[in-house]
Amino acid sequence: MSIVKRPDIKSSWYVTSIVKGMALTFRNMIYNIFHKDEMPTVNYPEEKYEYGPRFKGSHILTVKKDGSIRCTACMLCATNCPADCISITAAEHDDPEVEKFPISYEIDTLRCVYCGFCEEACPVDAVRMGPEWQQPGLNGSSFVHDIQHLTRRPNLKGGYLSILDEEERHNSGI
Amino acid sequence: MLKCTVNGKEIEVAEGTMVIEAFKQAGEDIAHYCWHPGLSVAGVCRLCMIEVEGAPRLMIACNTQVTEGMVVSNNSAKVQEAVKWGLDFHLINHPLDCPICDQAGECGLQDQYMKFGQYDPEMAERKVKKRKVVDLGRKIVLDTERCILCSRCVRFTDEVTKTSELGIFNRGDRSEIGTHEDKPLDNDYAVNVVDICPVGALTSKDFRFKQRVWYLDNDSTVCNGCSTGCNVNVYYNEKGYFRVKPEHNKDINDYWMCDKGRNIFKHVNKENRLLKAIKKTEAGTQMMAPGAAAKDVASLIKNYSSDQVAVVFTGQYTNEEYEDAMMYIDKLGTKKVYHWVNNSESFDDFDGILLRGDKNPNTAGLIKALEAKSLNSTWEQLEAELNSGAIKLVILAGPELQEYFPDIQEKIQLFSKAENLVVLSSNPNPAYRDVDYLIPMKTFVEKKGSFTNFAGTVQKIQKMRLVVSQALSLGEAMQLMAGDELQIGASL
Ligand code: SF4
Ligand code: SF4
Ligand code: SF4
Ligand code: SF4
Ligand code: FES
Repeated sequence: MSIVKRPDIKSSWYVTSIVKGMALTFRNMIYNIFHKDEMPTVNYPEEKYEYGPRFKGSHILTVKKDGSIRCTACMLCATNCPADCISITAAEHDDPEVEKFPISYEIDTLRCVYCGFCEEACPVDAVRMGPEWQQPGLNGSSFVHDIQHLTRRPNLKGGYLSILDEEERHNSGI
Repeated sequence: MLKCTVNGKEIEVAEGTMVIEAFKQAGEDIAHYCWHPGLSVAGVCRLCMIEVEGAPRLMIACNTQVTEGMVVSNNSAKVQEAVKWGLDFHLINHPLDCPICDQAGECGLQDQYMKFGQYDPEMAERKVKKRKVVDLGRKIVLDTERCILCSRCVRFTDEVTKTSELGIFNRGDRSEIGTHEDKPLDNDYAVNVVDICPVGALTSKDFRFKQRVWYLDNDSTVCNGCSTGCNVNVYYNEKGYFRVKPEHNKDINDYWMCDKGRNIFKHVNKENRLLKAIKKTEAGTQMMAPGAAAKDVASLIKNYSSDQVAVVFTGQYTNEEYEDAMMYIDKLGTKKVYHWVNNSESFDDFDGILLRGDKNPNTAGLIKALEAKSLNSTWEQLEAELNSGAIKLVILAGPELQEYFPDIQEKIQLFSKAENLVVLSSNPNPAYRDVDYLIPMKTFVEKKGSFTNFAGTVQKIQKMRLVVSQALSLGEAMQLMAGDELQIGASL
């Protein structure tokens, strides 16, 4: 059996706390009106926050010098991903120098926790976390990014070049 | 018996044992690439270094016989150092291919490197480049750069298949594994070289790039490809079944299996399976749950007297299933039980290694189950009774590996002479288009049980991952068709 306690007169002291809280709110509001430049919040979307260069935002798949995808489909990123949100399908490449490449590479960014483990695991600098952080979308499926989006979305302006070049590596005798 | 001491453990080994076998027997780790228990000794990789008390220098364990009172060890700093530099020599010209190499995760070089290596390479020389992605026929791809020239594959084709396709060409650091003029390596046991290759130099075309090995679980079972009953490991994960590898059994398949058996997982995967029961009605076809369809058949059977019902078996089910099925056949009361023998001309063939003409894993078990009930109707009787119309309903326990039943179309036409034909099958087949009931069955990886091989050895098979959870085992199907209810928890 539950016992219902009727609110007694003492509990109506919450009114004081509310008044205190509101006083703080209004004090800050009025202060901010007169000191706009000190305000810690920004008026998104008119104003945007500048994150540091190490910010880990939306994924990018880098490309080689010839514009083809750098990823070798080794699946180390998918193995390292704690959210299990990368799915890759590997295939045989026509060029024996390349041998293996991904025919599909998808990241479910709604499951992603932006930890950057994928970037860290990649042996060939093929996946990076870029500076973008805005990801508008109409429904869940627009947050599953495919190869096309990850390598060539308009924001990437033609694709990011991987720092690892196979030819240089071969020439240096590795 | 000889007494010896391995890393401080005293053991007794048989006369003629090599030191490396003594290490295995004592459960001590020892690095090795070229030695393989199923092949002759080559002693070329120099990784199985040991220190023998009284001997001034290190020796190789794979080519040194145990002598009475021998004291050997491989845990001293001297040995570790030798193994480390031995490994470095193997890696001098080895490419940095692990990301795209199918062997990664089960690679001898990776394992040894993690144990003894973990150094920066000290070679100033450039790596020698060799041929990559060499096509060796339908089954195998060769990467000569990754090869460490252990010669296991060469010895395999020399000693086991005796076809001698592979050889080592050129000399020194230009040495390469290959076939003469890149002829295909196409014998019936070729894929075994992929298993024994300690690195990713030989990879299987079928498995290449499908999965990384660390995503796969495996369980041991028995190959259902022929009556030899090779012990195998089946590799699978939540996406499906991916490959089959042999498992050592010295009485049956030793370390090997045939290449046909490598395909036994393919029909198991969902895209090839029969998912729902299909009932033919006047209006077309109706999809049903498998259990419901079997109950439907039970009510159909009631319209016939027991000698109007015939049951046809194939040798592709487990002993336990046959046993259950016979029990419910007793209940149905029919004596008309038949054994469909596929490829009867080549039934007794044997290729001298493993492959047998009887393409059923459990013919012996079926024959035994039929004999136990003294059911000995012949195929001619079945044909005659179908032609005369004495049999009104046929229940066919269809084959799981349909490719080994080339006469499936004719046989279904024959059975269709009866008014009703019920086919139990794990997979669809164009020949089953017009059958009255098609009921999905479990495959050999989805049920427990045992197969009896050609020599009468009973071997257990294991239940792994269910692909079609509604599918029935033969026992369950017969039980439902005989009008019984399934017991919860009693399923195979
Ligand atoms: S950032 Fe972390 S969670 Fe997101 S894909 Fe990479 S590894 Fe997975
Ligand atoms: S992105 Fe990098 S780690 Fe991921 S599969 Fe491609 S190459 Fe491997
Ligand atoms: S053989 Fe082993 S070490 Fe060599 S590339 Fe393949 S996985 Fe890496
Ligand atoms: S291909 Fe593999 S098995 Fe053959 S010699 Fe080279 S490393 Fe050994
Ligand atoms: S295993 Fe002994 S030398 Fe290779």
